[in-house]
Amino acid sequence: MNAKTESTDACDLRFGQVGIACVRVRRVDAAALCEELERRVRAAPQMFSRAAVVLDLSHLLHLPDDGTVDALLEAVRSAGMLPVGLAYGTSETEALASRMGLPLIAKFRAAYEPAAATPAAETRAPEPVARPEPILAPPEAGHPLGAQHHDGSVRSGQQIYARDRDLIVTGAIANGAEVIADGNIHIYGGLRGRAMAGAQGDEKARIYVSDFRAELVAIAGQYRVFEQIPDDLEGRSVQCWLEGEKLLIAKL
Amino acid sequence: MTAEIIVVTSGKGGVGKTTTSASLATGLAMAGKKVAVIDFDVGLRNLDLIMGCERRVVYDFVNVVHGEATLKQSLIKDKRYENLYVLAASQTRDKDALTQEGVEKVLDSLSEDGFDYVICDSPAGIEKGAHLAMYFADKAVVVVNPEVSSVRDSDRILGLLASKTRRAERGEGQVTQHLLLTRYNPARVAIGEMLSVTDVEDILGIKVVGVIPESENVLTASNNGIPVIVDTASPAGQAYSDTVARILGEERPLRFIDVPKKGFLQRVFGG
Repeated sequence: MNAKTESTDACDLRFGQVGIACVRVRRVDAAALCEELERRVRAAPQMFSRAAVVLDLSHLLHLPDDGTVDALLEAVRSAGMLPVGLAYGTSETEALASRMGLPLIAKFRAAYEPAAATPAAETRAPEPVARPEPILAPPEAGHPLGAQHHDGSVRSGQQIYARDRDLIVTGAIANGAEVIADGNIHIYGGLRGRAMAGAQGDEKARIYVSDFRAELVAIAGQYRVFEQIPDDLEGRSVQCWLEGEKLLIAKL
Repeated sequence: MTAEIIVVTSGKGGVGKTTTSASLATGLAMAGKKVAVIDFDVGLRNLDLIMGCERRVVYDFVNVVHGEATLKQSLIKDKRYENLYVLAASQTRDKDALTQEGVEKVLDSLSEDGFDYVICDSPAGIEKGAHLAMYFADKAVVVVNPEVSSVRDSDRILGLLASKTRRAERGEGQVTQHLLLTRYNPARVAIGEMLSVTDVEDILGIKVVGVIPESENVLTASNNGIPVIVDTASPAGQAYSDTVARILGEERPLRFIDVPKKGFLQRVFGG
């Protein structure tokens, strides 16, 4: 069994979906940022006033210095929101966050490490599976990896993560179970839980399921939840892929 | 010869773990095995009530774990079967009173004393008590009711059995998993108010080892301190007998899963 549940005896470590707004800074201009956010808070005070937000600096070409980041955080605060952390860390962001005394919030923090070599955030991670670039952190990466296999079912509360590669599950994914891969996901049993492909942002990742009853599917962060599974998809073989920002699902 | 350790667990509370533990232990004793049944639900002890020995508890499981009493002093001999013993939980302590080393020592001593089976009656939940109850198990009986929340909790437990047990940690192979469906009401299944056997098997991906019909005999038996398996006239008792036989390796068809057909007189006069 290569079930990889991230837990210890003392507690359960789980990655989950958290409803938290992310302020993606596009240019270093504290005044403009404050003004823009103020406008949002005024437009929807119930949603944004004192809302916890994460500051995402990954879209800036260069990471600003500490003083500038302080000013940006202050701008967010004076607009009426509460910055609680920094998002999407390269090791530089991580160092910055620790100097600021803020947590770094990203789904797979370590997984963003390789991006230190390629700061162009929008265009990074094309097919991480076959990426032969020099990579800093993970020792096992650096050459193409095969898919990760999981024989049998994934039970409620379990989580499996195939890092830098595809994931193949021969059994069913139960309600409340999660399978995550940086590449594609193939599920030969029923999917009743959650499946998230392209976890590092690979928009070409796909999910294939032979018996579709999912709670949630996501590709590269775009997700769909299913309160009611559409009749024409329930129990069918489907594939899910991304077209632009739209997550599409079709019968096979 | 080592004792086989069977945990009776479920995740969700109130699905019939203790009822099942009592009947399973009694059933194995009826088959001539030497059996001990341990109540792991420290702080909410119930097993002694269902086994009808609540007035004979002097020392309990926690006393043994802490070395305050010997195993011999604490094991309560069943009044019906002389090869059946009960180790009661403590009502005045909480689950932190148990330790992994202490539990292991008790199980090892039982094994040395020539017990064939040790049944561990798990508390509800997935915290310490439940973890310790399942940790040393060779087999698990996962008790599930035909409703969605119970099924999901059982799924969680099945996952824990595959990863958080001594067998799993040492790579000694899987804990044998038996799924036991209790409180099954065929009439309500027929009108879609309850999940069917097939639904539950489909969702959990394993076959049931038995189906215990919902029956008032269970409550009556429990209240009188008699494991329902002793009531051989009742459907629930018979279903438990079948289950014990299957766990011992016998093949028996499932009974009590269809709506009972009414006889001619019942149809005429109702009832």
